[in-house]
Amino acid sequence: MMQIKPWDFMVKYTPQREWIEGHGIMVAFAMFFGGISGGLYLSSLYFHSLLGMFIAWLLAMAAGVTDMAHLSKPMRFWRMISKPGSSWISRGFILIWLFLGAAMIQLAISQWAPGNAWETVFKVMAGILAFGVAIYSGFVVGFVGAIKIWNSGLVPILYVISGLTAGLAVVILVSLNATNLVTIADYLLAGLVVYAIFVAVYFWVATYESATARDSAVRVLRGPIAPVFWLGVVLLGVVIPIAMVAPFSLSQQVSSAGFAVAGACTIIGGVALRYVILKAGMYTPLLPDE
Amino acid sequence: MRWGMAIELKRCIGCYACVLACKAEHFLPPGIFWNRVLIGEKGKYPAVTKLIYSVRCNHCADPKCVKACPTGATHQREDGIVVVDEDKCVGCRYCMVACPYQARSFYEDGHGGQHEYFPGQGLTEHEKMGKVLYPHQPGVVQKCVFCKERIDAGMAQGLKPGIDRDASPACMNICPTKAIHFGDLDDPYSDINRLIKEKKGHPFHAEFDTQPSIFYID
Repeated sequence: MMQIKPWDFMVKYTPQREWIEGHGIMVAFAMFFGGISGGLYLSSLYFHSLLGMFIAWLLAMAAGVTDMAHLSKPMRFWRMISKPGSSWISRGFILIWLFLGAAMIQLAISQWAPGNAWETVFKVMAGILAFGVAIYSGFVVGFVGAIKIWNSGLVPILYVISGLTAGLAVVILVSLNATNLVTIADYLLAGLVVYAIFVAVYFWVATYESATARDSAVRVLRGPIAPVFWLGVVLLGVVIPIAMVAPFSLSQQVSSAGFAVAGACTIIGGVALRYVILKAGMYTPLLPDE
Repeated sequence: MRWGMAIELKRCIGCYACVLACKAEHFLPPGIFWNRVLIGEKGKYPAVTKLIYSVRCNHCADPKCVKACPTGATHQREDGIVVVDEDKCVGCRYCMVACPYQARSFYEDGHGGQHEYFPGQGLTEHEKMGKVLYPHQPGVVQKCVFCKERIDAGMAQGLKPGIDRDASPACMNICPTKAIHFGDLDDPYSDINRLIKEKKGHPFHAEFDTQPSIFYID
């Protein structure tokens, strides 16, 4: 926990605490579950994995549950529907519930009446909503102009890409005996490369944005958050998965063990990314500069 | 009508009276501050300047907190005062995260609602009185309300906020150097508007793009 002396509050760079310390860690998990849920549903749609779609539905429920676990007045959760005109949390709340409904109907049709025209309708609806579920938490974070490293157009894109790669990782984990495993691995490899590029660009650009964003980026790359970033986001989230997948994907061979390790590590990396971004949030000091 | 403040930095001596007056007026629990005094330094020896800023919620004209709030608990009155409806707040703290001035506080739920200032010694008479006169709901966000109760009650009696003490914020009343001024920013002839124009008051961190209602005068 980063300590800041009371007299330095908003006099020096002040870390964001509400959404990372104590109960606030639930926000990181809620954002992760939302992202992986949307990404997994879209990936499962593409690879026709009904099991993946069902897991995506469960993960969307987990996103809602962890969001509620963060609230200090959870029984008032229904009020969060009130401000979709301006609040991204309100929009996300509505998106999650609509996705849960549409996906549940789609899953039921796919299970008991496959091939029905309504199946396609609900797949399209749920797919669009899944994208919304994956991206909305990026907008929740990006809306906060007060935290410079968050206030970037790259954050929603990064969250979607992270959600898609984590979703592909789950698809791989549930498809270890499937015939199209190498194809899924190909997509995961491509996703990981794109994800790695966006992570690098995001933190690199942050060093140019403002002094506060630069301070946040330095804390991530070299400061107290560096261990979680380099071990969680980079090593577990990018390097190991690419190392496990690339040799087999590029040679079109199957390695269930390698792909399973890659899948698990990618998921852990996704959690680490949300944690790092929330932890890196710093407020600009209120006293004038020199 | 848009209530606002002008704070003369050269008059402020950093006595923290405004912080304490606010705490007493609203019977704030331990650890909760609606007003703060930020003290820092600018420059290098020998040309060092001490900076003392009395800060609170800026009741911005374009408040990010109101937009962020998913339940509508945080809302803005017609007179510009941003308030939190404690019965609607779910405690998501998005408003706290969104505020660039970090003007809000979260009242932790715990201690059975007791939150004694002197742990183990029970509530003081002042605290007991506070539980009746100004109860705070644990588990929600709270912040400066420009002493809206004093303003509303004073105006009902025909008093003028910013001029009559009984209708003015507690922090303004207590300030020993009269550094804090309060009034209607929409009235071009109000004392506060003339002060801001004559002494070139500037909004607090205009780059945050929230149009704060508190101006600082160097």
